[in-house]
Amino acid sequence: MIHDAQMDYYGTRLATCSSDRSVKIFDVKNGGQILLADLRGHEGPVWQVAWAHPMYGNILASCSYDRKVIIWKEENGSWDKMYEYTGHDSSVNSVCWGPYDFGLILACGSSDGAISILTFSGEGQWDVKKISNAHTIGCNAVSWAPAVVPGSLIDQPTGQKPNYIKRFVSGGCDNLVKLWKEEDGQWKEDQKLEAHSDWVRDVGWAPSIGLPTSTIASCSQDGRVFIWTCDDPSGNTWTAKLLHKFNDVVWHVSWSITGNILAVSGGDNKVTLWKESLDGQWACISDVNKGQGAVSSVTDGQQNEQ
Amino acid sequence: MAARWSSENVVVEFRDAQATAMSVDCLGRHAVLSGRRFLYVVNLEIPSEPSRKIGRQSKWDVGTVQWNPHKAEAHLFAASSNQRVDLYVWRDGCGEAHTSLQGHTRVISDLDWSWFEPEYLVTSSVDTYIYIWDTRDTRKPTVALSAVAGASQVKWNRRNPNCLASSHDGDVRIWDKRKPNTAMEYVAAHLSKIHGLDWHPDNEYILATSSQDNSVRFWDYRQPRKYLNILSCQVPVWKARYTPFSNGLVTVMVPQLRRENSLLLWSTLDLNSPVHAFVGHDDVVLEFQWRPQKEGSKNYQLVTWSRDQTLRIWRVDPQLQKLCANDIVEELVEGMTLNTESEKTLPSQDSEPPLSPGLSTEDLEDQQEGSQGVLLGGGRQDAPGLPQTLQQEFSLVNLQIRNVNVEKMDAVNRSCFVSAHCGANRVRLVVKFPAQYPNNAAPTFQFVSPTTISSSMKIKILKILTDTSLQKVKRNQNCLEPCVRQLVSCLESDMEDGTAANPYVLPVTPALPAFPRVTNTYGSYQDANIPFPRTSGARFCGTGSLVYFTRPTTMHRSVPPTEPTPRSLSALSAYHSGVLTPMKMRTESQSTLRLYSGSPTRSDKEQVSISSFYYKERKSRRWKSKREGSDYGNRPIKPAGKVIIQEISCLLPVHKALGETYVLNVNDIQDTCQKNAAAALAVGRRDLAKVWALASAATSVDLSPDSDPDADTPWARHPFGRHLLETLLDHYSQMSDVQSLAMLCSVFQAQGSPQDYFTLYGHHLPRSTIFPSHHSRYPSYTSSSLTSGSCSSTSDSTTTTWNIAGRDPEHAPPWGESSPDDYRYANQVYTDPREREKEQHDMNKRLLDPSNALQFDDFKKCYGEILHRWGLKEKRSEVLKFVSCPPEPHKGIEFGVYCCHCRSQARGTQCAVCKRFTFQCAICHVAVRGSSNFCLSCGHGGHTSHMMEWFRAQEVCPTGCGCHCLLQSTF
Repeated sequence: MIHDAQMDYYGTRLATCSSDRSVKIFDVKNGGQILLADLRGHEGPVWQVAWAHPMYGNILASCSYDRKVIIWKEENGSWDKMYEYTGHDSSVNSVCWGPYDFGLILACGSSDGAISILTFSGEGQWDVKKISNAHTIGCNAVSWAPAVVPGSLIDQPTGQKPNYIKRFVSGGCDNLVKLWKEEDGQWKEDQKLEAHSDWVRDVGWAPSIGLPTSTIASCSQDGRVFIWTCDDPSGNTWTAKLLHKFNDVVWHVSWSITGNILAVSGGDNKVTLWKESLDGQWACISDVNKGQGAVSSVTDGQQNEQ
Repeated sequence: MAARWSSENVVVEFRDAQATAMSVDCLGRHAVLSGRRFLYVVNLEIPSEPSRKIGRQSKWDVGTVQWNPHKAEAHLFAASSNQRVDLYVWRDGCGEAHTSLQGHTRVISDLDWSWFEPEYLVTSSVDTYIYIWDTRDTRKPTVALSAVAGASQVKWNRRNPNCLASSHDGDVRIWDKRKPNTAMEYVAAHLSKIHGLDWHPDNEYILATSSQDNSVRFWDYRQPRKYLNILSCQVPVWKARYTPFSNGLVTVMVPQLRRENSLLLWSTLDLNSPVHAFVGHDDVVLEFQWRPQKEGSKNYQLVTWSRDQTLRIWRVDPQLQKLCANDIVEELVEGMTLNTESEKTLPSQDSEPPLSPGLSTEDLEDQQEGSQGVLLGGGRQDAPGLPQTLQQEFSLVNLQIRNVNVEKMDAVNRSCFVSAHCGANRVRLVVKFPAQYPNNAAPTFQFVSPTTISSSMKIKILKILTDTSLQKVKRNQNCLEPCVRQLVSCLESDMEDGTAANPYVLPVTPALPAFPRVTNTYGSYQDANIPFPRTSGARFCGTGSLVYFTRPTTMHRSVPPTEPTPRSLSALSAYHSGVLTPMKMRTESQSTLRLYSGSPTRSDKEQVSISSFYYKERKSRRWKSKREGSDYGNRPIKPAGKVIIQEISCLLPVHKALGETYVLNVNDIQDTCQKNAAAALAVGRRDLAKVWALASAATSVDLSPDSDPDADTPWARHPFGRHLLETLLDHYSQMSDVQSLAMLCSVFQAQGSPQDYFTLYGHHLPRSTIFPSHHSRYPSYTSSSLTSGSCSSTSDSTTTTWNIAGRDPEHAPPWGESSPDDYRYANQVYTDPREREKEQHDMNKRLLDPSNALQFDDFKKCYGEILHRWGLKEKRSEVLKFVSCPPEPHKGIEFGVYCCHCRSQARGTQCAVCKRFTFQCAICHVAVRGSSNFCLSCGHGGHTSHMMEWFRAQEVCPTGCGCHCLLQSTF
């Protein structure tokens, strides 16, 4: 059973992870599919994989039921463990690399309630910071904020390089979405967003194209997907908008690279794509049903409407 | 509110109830759910009927609610709310609070109506008092029991009207209400907090306590030192309550944990494994109560309320009741005799008869055996029920482990074969289980052919297996599965590490603790907080791909679509128990427990366990690999779930084709715009074609601004100038079309300030040629610090200027770097009004608002990133050329000093080595402690005032070193 699949930065390779404890890497260039590597090392089902930015090399992180996070690195065509992190007491459910501006930095969320932030400090050393009890009962998802300073664009007239603040969002079994930021090297809870009535299964911080608005999507066991936005330069006022209430659990949300399309998938085995119209309404633009493949032909209209 | 009926149980949803407590009345007609705003009274006969509400005004949740258990007073119920108890009357479909009991000074933790006197109610509170109230006189409690410690639970004895028990942290106190001064008995029951207390329904002396310490203990309070029996659960137990039929006990987990949503029914005769799990709630169970039996019915009904906002009614039929009592009970233990005869004929309470007259004699026998059995519990573990235990272990053991096969599991001969292979190594073992197993009797292991490993390895493995099994059986736990897992990991580590592997690394194998020690509740407790695995998902990857995977089509859910997918991994155990042991674990609705129906090609044997479901699937679930001809033996291979990579770039506002064809020729903006317009047209973006035409017009040479501010209003100030451009940018921002945004920004930036950007390092070139001239008249930095010795990096003149401008010097950008924003406050620097005007004009004539430059930079960086992903590296650098380079925030300069006495490096005015002042004024030769200035060229300097004075007249260094300090200025 596949639990996650992700392509690398250039879209040429695909990593999948599965309950058979393996992580596999395929070359998918030009429509082909060649198995490049079968990474063994986990002792339980592997829940999620994440590619790091290619400026650090070909690096993949995976997390598993076996409480481990393994960071794999390709050198001279062969994949090896670069680092194995065993600091969690329960299943690690989510891994996410931070923006490349911050270096190699990985956030891991675990069912022991903690979130670990692993930072590569050179020469094989990894610096670990742990937020204990980030979510009571368990943390299910983490997602980094893009490396921009929303709001600062207008309010920082000094012309100096904006001081990027490391931030990420997490979701957990306490039904909360929490925002974290680093202050003086310490991770602090910045915001707590309440709207879900059941476990939050995934969170996704939308990529930024340079606009001052921050956007986060969260989905939950309760079938709801919320879009959280913040126009406030201080980042304190988040407003929630219900995207849709699905009939079954929603497991995953994913933003397109321009942050204007959201892919939602869940227990009903369906994938839906959502897009915000110019008047701020979210509309389903497509159902990607298994087997059928084709994205329905809503595309032409929206391209030319301008 | 929606009701769902099934043949087995009743589920009613109360979406908005948010109730914290629930109670069922003694007639079995009503249940009351207490939410914060309303109390909901549910008619249990027709639960789907809309409930009646009683409003309440309180900011406190209801702590406990309980109906009066006496038939005559059945319309009355009590609800505690913070320090108060409200008594409600429910008559003819409407209810109201008629009186309240006030006396406690802290929050009330529990309340209980007396089983014997309908007016009596006991309340416990953290204020350390336990009050017994006579509801006819509500002004004050009739009896106050002072416990010194705050109580968490209080319960009346069901057989003795004067006796009650309270729990205080880990202790239980037994009270006689006639002797309120001191407790009758203390029982140091648990090491952690007691969450639940329940008296045996038939035995005056026996009670069960459930605690945070993961156990339920059974006590005879006449023997407070030693518990009668213990039920170890792997998690904190919220409530453990006796069933109205004999020998049963129902437990729920602590709700805060949110790990396990099932109620477990145990037989008090065999505490090794639950006899039944009530599976169905999607969230933790907050309260459960037995509905009094209907006349003539053999069934009992359990009413449960969960945080999932559903009320469920579970039927417990005689078969299930019998499961609690079906074990053979041996001879009575002398000295603990009970008059069971009399007890079983007497209804235990006059108003809530748990024993129906309709029970068969067989049932009564069971009861009789049961009530005695409770007392025997501790001694009967090595009773003849054991072959079944091994049988159970065999049937439940989770052995879907890679490279391992367990065969010929023979519960009669008490043996099985384990074969494993790892690389070239093959191992085959016979495991023999002694008769006492698993009660401190370990199985034996013996290698048989075709074992291929070395004898030293055999010894090692044997030792590990023996250790593991001993560890388990010492606690009377099954050991087959842990042993097999150890065997495998041992073999695997041997493969990896060579023969020198240390056998003692194995006990710390991290995967092992993940598997529950109690094998027959697979994963259930431990995995309850691990989310249910995703079996489908979609992710945007690269720039224009959507990668998605779904559950294979052959695996369809057999549950109705209305049933949501479970929340946690532990839900798989429901599937497990539901399918695996239909006889033993009778479940309310088996069909709903089966998450996905298996493929019909699989044999029944493979289908039975959850792990086979779970692990089995993945074995055949290798997408693509099939195609490559991989051989997976003779296992039936099902079509695997595919990972599909879908090209969705048509949905995105950015186009790779445009990325390739767009040009950015700074030398000919007009041409650039026209080419780009053509490119846009070629991909069908007519809107962009028009925009590029507009851009071409706006950048036309005719409109280029005059350098003289007085000449004309620049085009940028025209409505079709900056305003139009801003509107366009706004539009494309809303479209998230970062490609158009970045390109427009680049083109207009190139147009707006050609003198900067046409040069190779254009964006680095300081525009500050306008303002550095006046900076310093004295080539030095001022050290204004007295003690810290760190020098602020500001020159005299600029410091003053910025202070005038009201800016913190720390945030000031260093000079010499350009940013359009500099001009804002730079304006205030200029003393010459023409300078300022010129500057203003320079800003005005740009089509792009310079104050948004950072945002424009972000567009370009983001687009650059996308180009990078497309592999268009040259295009990327073309765009990134237009990113302005804002200066690094200045971190401040600290000057180091070589001590003039010992030549060691020092910070500040005092040398850390020789403890003397580090430097002297070049003029007065006195150590400098205060404000000082130095020449950055020759390093000489001294008191600021002296230096000022010197350089007013001189140009060369006062030391005579020949340095022309004023001319050597780096500025």
